[in-house]
Amino acid sequence: MIVAENVEKRFGDALVLKRVNLRVEPGEVVTILGASGSGKSTLIRCINGLEALSGGKITVDGHDVSTKAGLVAARRASATVFQLFNLYPHMTALGNITLAPIEVLKLPKAEAEARARALLDKVGLGAHAGAYPQQLSGGQRQRVGICRALAMQPRYLLLDEVTSALDPEMTGDVLRILAELADDGTTMVFVTHEIEFARHISSRIVFLEQGELIVDLPTAQFFAEDGGLAVPRIRQFLSKMKKD
Amino acid sequence: MRYADFTPYDIVLLLQGLGVTLALFVGTTLIGLAIGLALAVAHHYRVPGCRPVIVLVTEALKNSPVLVQLFLVFFGIPAFLHIRMSPVEAATLTISLNTAAFAFVVFRSGIESIDRDQIEAAQVFGLSRSQILRLIIAPQAAAFSVGPLVGILVNQLQVTSLISVIGVFDLTKIGNILNLRTLQPFIVWAVIGLIYYLAAKTLAHAGGRIEAALRKSVKWGGI
Repeated sequence: MIVAENVEKRFGDALVLKRVNLRVEPGEVVTILGASGSGKSTLIRCINGLEALSGGKITVDGHDVSTKAGLVAARRASATVFQLFNLYPHMTALGNITLAPIEVLKLPKAEAEARARALLDKVGLGAHAGAYPQQLSGGQRQRVGICRALAMQPRYLLLDEVTSALDPEMTGDVLRILAELADDGTTMVFVTHEIEFARHISSRIVFLEQGELIVDLPTAQFFAEDGGLAVPRIRQFLSKMKKD
Repeated sequence: MRYADFTPYDIVLLLQGLGVTLALFVGTTLIGLAIGLALAVAHHYRVPGCRPVIVLVTEALKNSPVLVQLFLVFFGIPAFLHIRMSPVEAATLTISLNTAAFAFVVFRSGIESIDRDQIEAAQVFGLSRSQILRLIIAPQAAAFSVGPLVGILVNQLQVTSLISVIGVFDLTKIGNILNLRTLQPFIVWAVIGLIYYLAAKTLAHAGGRIEAALRKSVKWGGI
């Protein structure tokens, strides 16, 4: 389970996360919604330890990410897919996917490559194992990014606006893969602006407003007139998203 | 004059001088690159207290004449510390540190050219600092650095000629001896210059091949 308790994050004088509380149970798909600058990505970066907390506590399966040993264990349990892919440009798709399994999990190279090839096949990139990131389209790169995360066999998948840099067609490809993962019971924390997709795959939706988590509801309730839509800010946000 | 003419033995003298020049060049290059790399890594990882010292020392080395540095090391330091230093030791120390200062800048730029995003990705997948340095940063920084480094080393090869003034019997010193003996400065210095030129071109050619090989093994078009 991922547990965030009273999490605060400060950049200089700006408090970008204000006493955020969040629990993600195994098997859940939790979507974090909110306007740009609301702290969504920062929350993901706090969970995976890329940002040190200014206050509060985050644990992943009981491992406190503020401690060195806890962070190592938490990073073993979770894997992140980034908005801008963050692939290693000097390695092939196969190299990108097998690096951490070989170096961190100490898997034999042959086993890591077999796992990577199976994942690439699953996302339709079996023929591109030897391609470098520069030779792939944005959607293909993001699929490699997803494979890289899945190769670690994480208990939790953290997805930070993974379709924001993609055109609609490529977005569709990536979302289809994520929907399959959700159907398979993969636990996901998902930052996105794809409202309809979030509605389709999420078990819960939380809404961040200027660093504050103002709503945390099961998906159906979030979109109900007497649930999330009863909150004026959420209604305003959703109607703006529909227009865009 | 009795010894005014060139003799076949002069070729041996020239080869000896070239050998000393190349040996000092290779030795100071290896030491300089190692120190420059270590400084760049220490700078990158913000080793406490290191950054200002590294920047101060390398700036001083890059922005003062090598001949002055050579005099400081050969005459100044022994006088100040009451130690003995041979011309070869002084030359090795001076040129190694001078090479290190320039190599540091190239390595630092190479390391800084790697996107922070890649390093963050490696961190969240659990790679250690040394794994990130070895597997993510080094291969890309090396491809980035080889070109500028070759340029620096070609220049450092020429700089080695300064060591003749403190009595090291390098190629330039041999040229000076032949010049004084034959009194044919045009021929002597043309030949010495040609040898330096050929050595520099060979070095640049080898560097170009290494760079091409590195860029071939990292086929992406990003750098």
